[in-house]
Amino acid sequence: MSQPSSTGSFDVASLVEDVNLRRVAQYALVVFFLGFFLVPLETGIMTAIKTNESVARSLPFAPPVGEGFTLGNIQFALEQLSGSFFNSLIMSIPATIGSVLFGSMAAYGLTMVNWRAQMGMLMLFVVGVFVPYQAVLVPLARFWNNIFPLARMLEPMVASIPFFQGYHAELVPLVITHIAYGIPICTILFRSYYQSLPNSLVEAGKIDGASITKIYRRVILPISKPMFGVVFIYQFTQIYNEFLFAFTLVTGSDAPAAPVTLVLPAIGASTSGIDFGIRMSAAFLAAVPTLILYVAFAEQFAKGLRTEA
Amino acid sequence: MGQIQLTGLTKRFGDTVAVDDLSLDIDDEEFLVLVGPSGCGKSTTLRMLAGLETPTSGDIYIGGDHMNYRVPQNRDIAMVFQDYALYPHMTVRQNIRFGLEEEEGYTSAERDERVVEVAETLGIADLLDRKPDELSGGQQQRVALGRAIVRDPEVFLMDEPLSNLDAKLRAEMRTELQNLQDQLAVTTVYVTHNQTEAMTMADRIAVMDGGELQQVASPFECYHEPNNLFVAEFIGEPMINLVRGTRSETAFVGEHFSYPLDADVMESVGDREDLVLGIRPEDIAVVDATTDDTPADDAALGDHELRMDVTVVEPHGDQNVLHLSHPDQPSADDALQAVTEGMHLVTRGDRVTVTIPPDKIHVFDAETGTAVHNRRHDQEADRTQLEQ
Amino acid sequence: MARLTLDDVTKVYTDDGGDDIVAVEEISLDIDDGEFLVLVGPSGCGKSTTLRMMAGLETVTEGELRLEERVLNDVSAQDRDIAMVFQSYALYPHKSVRGNMSFGLEESTDLPDDEIRQQVETTTDMLGISDLLDRKPGQLSGGQQQRVALGRAIVRDPEVFLMDEPLSNLDAKLRAEMRTELQRLQEELGVTTVYVTHDQTEAMTMGDRVAVLDDGELQQVGTPLDCYHRPSNLFVAGFIGEPSMNFFPGSLSGDTFSGDGFDYPLSGATRDQLGDAGGLTLGIRPEDVAVGERRSGERTFDAEVVVVEPQGNENTVHLRFADGDEGPQFTATTTGRSRVEAGDRTTVTFPEDAIHLFDGETGDALKNRELPSNRAIDAFVSN
Repeated sequence: MSQPSSTGSFDVASLVEDVNLRRVAQYALVVFFLGFFLVPLETGIMTAIKTNESVARSLPFAPPVGEGFTLGNIQFALEQLSGSFFNSLIMSIPATIGSVLFGSMAAYGLTMVNWRAQMGMLMLFVVGVFVPYQAVLVPLARFWNNIFPLARMLEPMVASIPFFQGYHAELVPLVITHIAYGIPICTILFRSYYQSLPNSLVEAGKIDGASITKIYRRVILPISKPMFGVVFIYQFTQIYNEFLFAFTLVTGSDAPAAPVTLVLPAIGASTSGIDFGIRMSAAFLAAVPTLILYVAFAEQFAKGLRTEA
Repeated sequence: MGQIQLTGLTKRFGDTVAVDDLSLDIDDEEFLVLVGPSGCGKSTTLRMLAGLETPTSGDIYIGGDHMNYRVPQNRDIAMVFQDYALYPHMTVRQNIRFGLEEEEGYTSAERDERVVEVAETLGIADLLDRKPDELSGGQQQRVALGRAIVRDPEVFLMDEPLSNLDAKLRAEMRTELQNLQDQLAVTTVYVTHNQTEAMTMADRIAVMDGGELQQVASPFECYHEPNNLFVAEFIGEPMINLVRGTRSETAFVGEHFSYPLDADVMESVGDREDLVLGIRPEDIAVVDATTDDTPADDAALGDHELRMDVTVVEPHGDQNVLHLSHPDQPSADDALQAVTEGMHLVTRGDRVTVTIPPDKIHVFDAETGTAVHNRRHDQEADRTQLEQ
Repeated sequence: MARLTLDDVTKVYTDDGGDDIVAVEEISLDIDDGEFLVLVGPSGCGKSTTLRMMAGLETVTEGELRLEERVLNDVSAQDRDIAMVFQSYALYPHKSVRGNMSFGLEESTDLPDDEIRQQVETTTDMLGISDLLDRKPGQLSGGQQQRVALGRAIVRDPEVFLMDEPLSNLDAKLRAEMRTELQRLQEELGVTTVYVTHDQTEAMTMGDRVAVLDDGELQQVGTPLDCYHRPSNLFVAGFIGEPSMNFFPGSLSGDTFSGDGFDYPLSGATRDQLGDAGGLTLGIRPEDVAVGERRSGERTFDAEVVVVEPQGNENTVHLRFADGDEGPQFTATTTGRSRVEAGDRTTVTFPEDAIHLFDGETGDALKNRELPSNRAIDAFVSN
């Protein structure tokens, strides 16, 4: 049986009454874990705004003092990364949208429509989730470079788009690969959501005369919004942070088309060693798009999780 | 035209036979209720009519056209689901309009008009711009109805549409639904497990059990002339009293009493040994032990009279349901239930005399369950004297 | 002894917008030891909230809840010696029937295992589910799950049973059977029971007393027949009884009630009970409306049959006063074998001893129907 729900009124007497060893221990635990997760983050921020000297001299999580404070690291990192930010975003956003959209459609077809060999198809998708990145690297490279050199083919077309350069065409195979790779997991995620929806919605649509596609477009898609939020955030984080495929298909951290993940390992490295300040700044800046996304979609995300439960 | 023919309709799910060789003809504009306990196959039958399940064998004809291979979209039917299945992200207006979009012969403006027209008929015109989650259960029900009506289909299919409503609302909606169906004159197939809904709304009732059709007839007929034990038990609230026993030369012999049977009843019974005697609770006359009419002792009881003890009294206000048991079985299962007028009250523990009128009994074959004799009623004599 | 008392119990919620919602307002109830009290009312009337406060699943905002002399307001649910049957049964899906029923005893008592086993078996015998002891809930039918939920409550031998619409998930037929069985069980066990339902039939047939709620407020507490024949206001009169009582709004002019489409003369005795009331509502139950009996007189009116709903043993006839246009509709109950049909013209009589009169503004009952006085009726109507 659960504890009684709290009332709206607030009086000191009841507050004092509730203070007991168990409560104190509960709060202490919460504060501890809060610290546990936040300390590294805080350390990172501190390091980012310290000069090299300050980094060497002070404790990692201590804030910079006086002369030790600098914004130079951040500025430098920003300059270095700006190009690759653009690359990362024009790669991740279409890839995320694509994999999420196709995943949703596939899940709809596999869950809410009845047809033969459905289970077999579903099995293929499930298997797809488990194929490791590493296993397909070589065939992937060979495919995109030798068998179907899409990047080279599209170069002139991409160059003619404003704001884009020819080399951005190298990202197109990467986008397609991420879409393909992301579909299985998106399908599985959407499937669990669609299983919780009443079948009678699709049945009502059929009886109203709508085709399967129209039902998806007008009925299922609009009510999938919470789930879209969840899967979008998940996929974006996966794709944006991904290193292996990017490394395989866009060669070299100094390639102009390199996404952020490729550039990051190289930042701040020099003959005199690693500049931690710059590294930290770069790491934080790289995380900003994902942070923005989480904040923007926070409500959807929470709704989506609630629906799943 | 919306007449429906089901011939030899069967549906198997793996090894289970959900619907077994069902044949049924439904007239155009008829309100037919498919009724039976959970799992009897009524919902499966409805879903086959809708095209949401494919028959294993047998044929479905709507308006003379063969439907087996047609998808629901092409059947010109409308359905009201038990959970209403309203599109949650659309307003009431959009929900109702959705089905109309696929109908030909309407301009966009005409569609809008039609939606308002239907909403007004159902009394929900002021809810048109709300979303389903802002509506009460009863209001959602009407929107579901509106969605069905707006398309002016040949057939309405309704799958237990009232079961999620409060008892009072259910009673109101029953009358309303009936009126609506009368007005619209559309063939309606209505599924329910509630025999009251079946009795009050149907032109004809089709009683199902275990996938098989038990009887198709008017409510009156199902009630007074049930084909078998199942129909007799299922239709009628409170349930018909059934007493198992055997046959002697002239009487039905139960565990606690004998009941003499008339000659024509004995003839219908024929050679059967094991019988079930049926009498509806409202046909049992109850006389209190304290009144002057009661016989002084058991020997003075008439042929069709019994002494019984009252074990439970259920007051309904307009009537009372008495649970009666035989004096020599004080705490065993109740032997009979009887109904008395609201003002005719007895107290628990009273000893009463009950009369089972011979013209009101039913007799069933205990083995097969078939009705051997049903109560007599003279249709002409039943018509009340009315002022013209 | 298990007398349960509610003393001006109130429950207030704060919604998302910061507004206060009064779910239950100052309900006072005295439930006797061994009594079967039914809390009845439409959805949202506060009956479930009241029950949950009794269980300890909701806190009491104001007022006092007592079991005998013990104040329960701050006692946690586990310590109240109360057992509850939920609408959804809430059986532990991974446990067998035996496990479900033993759980409460294992957690809240120190009884040795074989004693628990014994008690479980006695209870399952009582409920007729002994052969299901080793099955899991998923393998049981709705009715069987119901009995297990009941058994789980019974086996704990609590002071009070609380039941939250336990029959609403059952088929109509099963519901009728279980009603009688529940009643019999409760009498056998003699445990104080509070039962919540929206179904007035359950309230009428099962309760020793009925408490009618609407919109968080207690409308009336009395025996079923007391509420039926002597409702304290319009709401109770309309809620209790199926089909519902007919209501005719109108006004008093001299010694006559003027309704929409008919005028009804009142006797002196009746008129005296009404005092100064201007607007009135006349009520009469469908079974008291006499149809087509060839009566004449000032209390007989011409009517037209609109719809007939056959029930088998009786018919519910919907009628309209026959003076041309669309007047108000009302219902009458006739015997099952009378063959009235839609479109027929006939007469209806409203006997004066059967009418109720309510204040047009407040809804309070000014005059209820007359009841014949005999031992049985008195026993049923008064407490």
